Amino acid sequence: MRIFIVILLCVHSLLAHTLDSLLQEYKQTSDNSLQTVNEKLGHVIIYSQKEIRLMQYHKLNDILKELPMFNVNTNRFGLTSHSLTGSKTTTSGFFRFFINDHEISSTYDQSASLSWGDLPLDFVDHIEIYYGESSFSLGNDTGIYFVRIYTKSATKENGSELNALLSSNGSHSQSFTHSQSFENGWSYLLFFNHDRIIKTTDYNAQTLNANGEKKYFYLDANNERTRVNVGYTDTAKNNYAGLAFDAAPENGEITSKDFFIHYSHLFLEDKSLKTNFSVDINHRKYEEANAQGIALIPVLDFTNLGLTIPKAFYEDLRFVKTNAYVSKSFDTEDNSFLTALNVQNKTYHVSDRETINFANQTNVAGAYNNFDNETTSSLLFQDHYQLSDTLILTANAKFDRYERNGSFQDFSENLFRIGAIYTPFEHFGLKTFYTETALPPSFYTMDYANPSTPDLKSQQYRFYTIEAVFTMGESKFSVDYNHVLIDDFLYLTPIGFINIDHTIKSEGFIFDYEYSFSERDKLHLNYYTSNLSEQINNSTKGGYVKFMGGFDKIDYFASIIYKNAYRYFDVHVPQSFNASLGATYHASKDLSYSIKATNIFDNSTQSLYAQGIGGTNFALDDTDRSVMVSFRWVF
Amino acid sequence: MKKYLLLLTLLSYSVAETYTFLVKPYHKEIELEAKIISEIAHASLGTEVKLFIPNISEIEKEVYAAHFTLSQTCEASNFVFVNKTVEHESLCGTSNRLFFTNNYRKLLSDKTYYGALFWNKSRPNIVFIQKRLEANRITLPQAFAPFVENF
Repeated sequence: MRIFIVILLCVHSLLAHTLDSLLQEYKQTSDNSLQTVNEKLGHVIIYSQKEIRLMQYHKLNDILKELPMFNVNTNRFGLTSHSLTGSKTTTSGFFRFFINDHEISSTYDQSASLSWGDLPLDFVDHIEIYYGESSFSLGNDTGIYFVRIYTKSATKENGSELNALLSSNGSHSQSFTHSQSFENGWSYLLFFNHDRIIKTTDYNAQTLNANGEKKYFYLDANNERTRVNVGYTDTAKNNYAGLAFDAAPENGEITSKDFFIHYSHLFLEDKSLKTNFSVDINHRKYEEANAQGIALIPVLDFTNLGLTIPKAFYEDLRFVKTNAYVSKSFDTEDNSFLTALNVQNKTYHVSDRETINFANQTNVAGAYNNFDNETTSSLLFQDHYQLSDTLILTANAKFDRYERNGSFQDFSENLFRIGAIYTPFEHFGLKTFYTETALPPSFYTMDYANPSTPDLKSQQYRFYTIEAVFTMGESKFSVDYNHVLIDDFLYLTPIGFINIDHTIKSEGFIFDYEYSFSERDKLHLNYYTSNLSEQINNSTKGGYVKFMGGFDKIDYFASIIYKNAYRYFDVHVPQSFNASLGATYHASKDLSYSIKATNIFDNSTQSLYAQGIGGTNFALDDTDRSVMVSFRWVF
Repeated sequence: MKKYLLLLTLLSYSVAETYTFLVKPYHKEIELEAKIISEIAHASLGTEVKLFIPNISEIEKEVYAAHFTLSQTCEASNFVFVNKTVEHESLCGTSNRLFFTNNYRKLLSDKTYYGALFWNKSRPNIVFIQKRLEANRITLPQAFAPFVENF
């Protein structure tokens, strides 16, 4: 009898253990965030919920700054700008950013920096970063890198969360997230955030500052077939170096209010018919005053600079983007075929734009040109063909028709991509793509076009990439090679944008190694090297070492991000080693306290600037050394 | 000895969970959900489980079939797991079968269900309601006691 009771107790204890451990495994699997990854879209890097928490990534830029073949700088307005390796752009159209299914890049300049660059990650579940062209599947604007941000699932959160952060430089941030599920299958997630941003740099005995405030609101309401997303961000900040000739304006401010609503619905029993409809409205204002003059290229008349150089500038702009998308997929045993239609309209309205010159004359500049409306119609085809158990072939084609008002010509672009994923062994795989795509000029590039070439052409990209992955036990090693050719590259000269008249070439390698010591402890190494056929004005080599882990109630991490030195004309930009350390104490399952030190060696990356039009070049640090404390309370 | 150690090391590598490319649909969350439901259903019924999931997807069919005998109709089943939005009227009667849900609010408001597997505060939870266990004459193993609530 005793033996029987002992056996019974053992079985019961095993059952409980099984159920508890299954729940724990269920949670860990969810935190690994692999449920949305689509290998066929490009070469992907995943930042899981577990990694976001362990590494204390508070802002989107905390992640972007460590990406290979990618540079995160500060532009003249004190905003982060994202550039391809070796180059620096004030605003760039290479990168597309999505929150869930919605693309958040600016209608004006295609950059997400002003409104969404410092996006807090408290409501984000995971992030996928693809080196590849997103518009083939998603129908959006073209680009060659894309970042998909997935918000936390309302059904999984099902509670409230409070986050607060305080930095030694005076910045602080507070977030509130609330989610709930209903009996009828609907659930919602609400997010509110307020950020106080402090960013100052000393230059030429003056202090440049990009101090300001940001507010974010986000709503995700969904059921099994329908999803409604609403986003709003309100930014008001100082303009850092602005457009001042001496790179030190007397005063200046940028404000931006960005709103979008995105509706998507899946039809048919197999959910193979998908529709999206979205509206984005952006209202932005810019003002600057500087006694040394303002380098506002579109209003400068180089034959009459005395009367056209402004000492004060004000503009008030409004942009509306409307997008409709419908796709149908057809799946057979070996084939997955998708066709889609996307129509997008962008409008640009100048409510006010005026300058004051040195004779104190006010000039109502109005629109810089008569291009203020663009409609893009796209037809997409995609096929994934499973040729064998180990080989998948992919092919995409996209036909874009751009219709523009004003004196600019309509045009069409034909884009395509082919690729293959080959996994001959369980522990070894190859993935390769060849892509031809085109990045058309934005309202911003047309505004700032060189007056002698106002009708700018699309940038033509041809690139191929190959990635080899080898896994062994808990190790994963990968090598990527990419080769990029760009025709008609849009380049900002001191007197405006031009299309570069020759082919630009870039190629590089990325080496990546990760080793998981346990479910919680991981070491990750990355190194990349690249070369560019043009004179470089940004780092071309870089990498990182990061370690994250935990013991009992404490999580910890350490990381160091390296970017190489380079010379641009007479400016030497030194190499950067951005080191960070952090720890989190879990007081309970619902309450945790964190501390994080960044840029410990005070050895930040630097960005290049120029005084005036084609004047002296100089470099300034991108980030300060700082210590942050934060807490997270779930209730 | 060294050969054995090498063999053991290689063996441990071969069962590791790292992946090269995730080219097939990722099922692991559904697999774990199926395992948990399997533990619950078998402990609750004590006999062979004939599972019915209303509006079951193709992926769920594939994954759940490894743990259960899947029933085509509600009437032919002895365990019903409702994990999607379905009209209450579309479900069959409660006699001779148990109803489980993934929606906590549904569990609270509808006495048809005796338990739920759901997420709260970003953690998965299981709850059984004591009175409904008694009404259905279910005796769960003692080890399930932490998941039983009296309300």
